[in-house]
Amino acid sequence: MERFIVELQVANHCGVLNRITGLYAKRKYNIDSLTVHETGDPTLSVMRIVSRGDTAIQRQMARQLRKLFDVKNVALLSNSGQ
Amino acid sequence: MKRSGAAIVIEALCRNSVQTVFGYPGGAVLPIYDELYKNANRINHVLCAHEQNAAHAADGFARVTGKPGVVIATSGPGATNLVTGIANAYLDSVPLVAITGNVAVPLLGRDSFQEVDIVGITQEIVKHNFAVSDVRELSGVLDAAFKIAVSGRPGPVLVDIPKSIQTDLCDDSEFFPQDLFFKPLPEVDLTDALAALNEAERPMIYAGGGVVASGASEELALLADRLSAPVAFSMMGLTALPRDHKRNLGMCGMHGSRSSARVQDECDLILALGVRFSDRATGNVARYRNGKKIIHVDIDNAEIGKNAAADIELCGDVKDVLKKLLAVLPVQPRPDWDEAVRNAKKLDSLPVEQALTPRTLLKTVASYCSDDTVIATDVGQHQMWTMQYFPFKLPRTLLTSGGLGTMGFGLGAAIGGCIANDRKRTVLFTGDGSFGMCLQELATAVSQNLPLLIVIFNNGVLGMVRQWQTMFYEKHYSQTTLKRKTDFPALAQAFGAEGKKITDLAGLHAALQNLAEDRPTVLDCQLDMDEFVLPMIPPGGSVKDLIITKEK
Repeated sequence: MERFIVELQVANHCGVLNRITGLYAKRKYNIDSLTVHETGDPTLSVMRIVSRGDTAIQRQMARQLRKLFDVKNVALLSNSGQ
Repeated sequence: MKRSGAAIVIEALCRNSVQTVFGYPGGAVLPIYDELYKNANRINHVLCAHEQNAAHAADGFARVTGKPGVVIATSGPGATNLVTGIANAYLDSVPLVAITGNVAVPLLGRDSFQEVDIVGITQEIVKHNFAVSDVRELSGVLDAAFKIAVSGRPGPVLVDIPKSIQTDLCDDSEFFPQDLFFKPLPEVDLTDALAALNEAERPMIYAGGGVVASGASEELALLADRLSAPVAFSMMGLTALPRDHKRNLGMCGMHGSRSSARVQDECDLILALGVRFSDRATGNVARYRNGKKIIHVDIDNAEIGKNAAADIELCGDVKDVLKKLLAVLPVQPRPDWDEAVRNAKKLDSLPVEQALTPRTLLKTVASYCSDDTVIATDVGQHQMWTMQYFPFKLPRTLLTSGGLGTMGFGLGAAIGGCIANDRKRTVLFTGDGSFGMCLQELATAVSQNLPLLIVIFNNGVLGMVRQWQTMFYEKHYSQTTLKRKTDFPALAQAFGAEGKKITDLAGLHAALQNLAEDRPTVLDCQLDMDEFVLPMIPPGGSVKDLIITKEK
């Protein structure tokens, strides 16, 4: 299946990473790799999550992530649309 | 003026128009309960017998009012007892604010007495949750909790407040706000939907809880007439149109009406409103689709395409979208389709029964109810029969556990629903299995003087599981024959309620004519253990596999 990257802008406080990875686990998608770092704005972090799935899965994950109140923005870094 | 965290909780509840809360006190919420004591004139606290039922009561309250139900529990077991109630509200998109105490901040993370990480435990069954770590954020957190519970697609929110934060003092000027990210809904473009509706020859509307949540009953009725489209409902949407409305086909899906199955099979377009294409409503999704066009309207963008790919996606509040649609949609007469639907509806007529059966029991109780009587159910056969036979008239009169299927939901929900509906007569249809999971809450119904009518479909078995064992497991009745000797009328009386055993329709009428007004009545109705809920689409099947009759 196609590898895809989700880039998230998220609130920078404790428990946020847990919410994101919990969502992947709940929806039964595996995470291949993940990076998190603080941004120039200390209230925000950026996460990049690599996993695999077809277009429908990519779109579903982006939409589920967008619902979280700690998530400011979701971008799918692959050739499929939102 | 400096206020304690507990006082800040009370102020936040009042600011958010909360007048009734459900709960159970304990060590880690003592400061909050002290403030409830001092503010009894502002907030009515309903003391339940078990936190799970308190959560179901808050859920039932929310389903009737459309406003967030509030439940309060202590740390540890108090908090974990809420879990089923929170999950239930989550699966049915019910606005709920759960407030839990926790151990004092210095004791957190040390496996202290009655400490659990309830924020971690509930993470996957809430819209959002908060672990309050500073009294200065408490006020903003609580306002955010109420906002999240009702914004967009409603759902439960949990706020965990350590005991030391409940006693910490802080001035209003020290409050800091919560920076949460609320995302706007996308713009709705109706062009494709209008074209598809115009082209359709046999459109069907599949309506769900989103129609009830957005208060779109009127728009739904107008739309059905405008399109000449019949309406089939998921269980969560069932009350959106009166049962006797000419376009109403009743519930669709596993135990849906024969007419809904026939129409679903014959239609060429499904207009899905506030639904999630649950497996119980669709069976096998590929066979369900079978080349039909799907227009999916939902306020939650992630629901669109999750279970069934949509040809046309309309993300928005159902009521808003329908209003926009009605403003531009011409009248579309479809006389041939009307005729086909009328013929399909003839399939739903059933022979008259004289004995005490699930159907005559429901019809008889219904004849003593008014249009606005709130009906709660538990989970199992009695629940499906209620969906099939009870003539619902108004939205928000049905309290039933849809997504989670929680046995034991009913009594707590009936209590909350009754209190929300001005303490008027409220009916609970339950089974002897389900009632066994929540009956301690009779104590609350009695102490609150609630005129509940509790109708037990007593067949001595776990009927729905038994039905599957009959149909799919060679009548291996593994652990579904209860062999209990519970005397339900005596049990009711022991709690201070009325109780009566019902063996025939005459006895039922007699009991219903003399119901107590100031306490609950339990009617223990004796039914055959081998009644089946029919029709039935077997799990994973399609309308082509519909089972209409079955030998016992």
